[in-house]
Amino acid sequence: MTERASTDAGAADGDRAARRLKARYAAERRFRALGLAAIACSVAALLFLLVTMIGNGMSGFRRTELRVPVDFARAGLRVEPARLGAIDALPALRQAGLSQVLGQAAAASLGPDGAAELDPDAWREVARAIIADPGLLQRRVVLSLPASDNLAAAQRGDGQRRLRPLATRLAAQGKLVRAWDPGFLTRADSTHAQSVGIWGALKGSLLTMAVTMALAFPIGVLAAVYLEEYAPRNRWTDLIEVSISNLAAVPSIIFGLLGLALFVGLFPSWRSAPLIGGMTLALMTMPVIVISARAAIGAVPPSARDAALAIGASRIQVVFHHVLPLAMPGIMTGTIIGMARALGETAPLLMIGMRAFVATPPAGLTAPASVLPVQIFLWSDEIDRGFVERTSATIIVLLLFLLAMNGLAIHLRNRFEKRL
Amino acid sequence: MTTYHELDPVEAKIAARDVSVFYGDQQALDRVSIDIGTEYVTAFIGPSGCGKSTLLRTFNRMNDTIANARVEGEVRLDGVDIYRSDLDVVQLRARVGMVFQKPNPFPKSIYENVAYGPRIHGLAVNRTELDAIVERSLRRAGLWDEVKDRLSDSGTALSGGQQQRLCIARAIAVDPEVILMDEPCSALDPIATARIEELIGELKGRYAIVIVTHSMQQAARVSQRTAFFHLGRMVEYGKTSDIFTNPREERTKDYITGRYG
Repeated sequence: MTERASTDAGAADGDRAARRLKARYAAERRFRALGLAAIACSVAALLFLLVTMIGNGMSGFRRTELRVPVDFARAGLRVEPARLGAIDALPALRQAGLSQVLGQAAAASLGPDGAAELDPDAWREVARAIIADPGLLQRRVVLSLPASDNLAAAQRGDGQRRLRPLATRLAAQGKLVRAWDPGFLTRADSTHAQSVGIWGALKGSLLTMAVTMALAFPIGVLAAVYLEEYAPRNRWTDLIEVSISNLAAVPSIIFGLLGLALFVGLFPSWRSAPLIGGMTLALMTMPVIVISARAAIGAVPPSARDAALAIGASRIQVVFHHVLPLAMPGIMTGTIIGMARALGETAPLLMIGMRAFVATPPAGLTAPASVLPVQIFLWSDEIDRGFVERTSATIIVLLLFLLAMNGLAIHLRNRFEKRL
Repeated sequence: MTTYHELDPVEAKIAARDVSVFYGDQQALDRVSIDIGTEYVTAFIGPSGCGKSTLLRTFNRMNDTIANARVEGEVRLDGVDIYRSDLDVVQLRARVGMVFQKPNPFPKSIYENVAYGPRIHGLAVNRTELDAIVERSLRRAGLWDEVKDRLSDSGTALSGGQQQRLCIARAIAVDPEVILMDEPCSALDPIATARIEELIGELKGRYAIVIVTHSMQQAARVSQRTAFFHLGRMVEYGKTSDIFTNPREERTKDYITGRYG
């Protein structure tokens, strides 16, 4: 009897154990499913972004062009070859009547109404081509010139109604086409969507990032090294630590105001320059670098420090030979994250005047410039449909830029880690 | 009660007098005086937290790296107080090398691990000399034959015992006078331990060696002098054979017979 009872109890125990096991497996499965769902969500968001961006933006890499045959040899454009090499080659060509030559050629080929719809800035492109290859002036060529924004709109089927028959006619003759526009990557800002380019903003971004990196990285890493390796732990260092953490959380527009008051106040003639922009963004990036570098330096095992100290390395040798190489992957990651944030930053640069219309790529660190995100902001304000496409195309370039930076970060990190 | 024994005929390499160490308010070592000779391997034994590692770390001022550590008393190396304010810690540590509990080779090549010390102290004027130092150190550490064909491999890729011998090679590469070993075998298997103990026997006489160990058998095997510590004080110090066969203090006897510890 007692034996029987105990086997019953045993069976009940086994039952309960089986139920618990089942519940545990179910919980396990639920958790896995939730994790998968989370991944699916982020992948879907990423795909949505990529698909819409590419869908909208790819047409931004095309433009509406008019094909105009020009016989420079007969047009009689007179410019001394020596002047084509000079800085004022563009105005020289204009004075020589380049726009008129183009206008006549366009009128002959497209008719007067078509010639009127040539982008007013078209002659600049031709002038640059002539400067690059003066032999052009002796030849007969078919030029692909940007159409006016109105004609481009008419070709798409919107815009002014009166231009549509013209667009249809020219398109039928093969003189009005949508074509790939590699010049988009080499030109600067313009008032016409068909002749804009992003090289100006891209170069501005590159210069600004160079300044930011050159300032924020050494200052940030040195500050982190000092705080981690040298500074005593007391109220002052606690205060500094809290301040740096706070600085990292300050809204970026405040940094813009600081840059405006401080840097533009000090160097008023460098307003809108990559140097000032870079300095302002460095203020913003530095705390991020300090925080990540401190974490990376703090994660270096004490045994590595002990080993170096015990063999008679000085503090600075310990830091530069042992601690920094071990911390470098972490520092790099933090730096790239900070730089990527700075690259996408608009607000502080608007404050210091980098929203100016700059039609030429910046010649140097102190020349007025724009940057990619500000360019996107400015173009997104434009009404013309052409600018909407150009904006999307610029976003694609910016994203590619970021992707390249992150790829570089991962590459560098792997190389550093392999070397250890 | 503090006992301290003058070493009979030999001059003491390291002479500690009334050394007390505090970590903040906590006293880790209480007025310890001890003479360390060059001819011997000296073993520090005692239960965990008895202060033996703390004393060892006062000999090359590694306690300096602990923020709130404070050392009182006097530690003399060849008669010179190493806690003098004008003493250069870097030079002191070149003379007093250290091997740690856990093997801690640099995450660099085997060659670089050994060459690092001579390089920062400027012991070699050219590559040939440096190569010679590296080879000599690795030979003395009994590691040369195992690694001579892969000197450019990472030091961290070696086995635990090899890593510890690499650390010993690294320590002797700067030609120290004293080598401090802080439980050098506690992370190693018995075979690697035997190899290290053998190595300590080979290095004896060339360097003054002080070894902290938890294993009394190890102390008995490798050392000629043993100091027993308990609760921050040195209880007994003498010839290893005397300590293990004929301890004067009751507490020493209890510890080595396994009554506590």
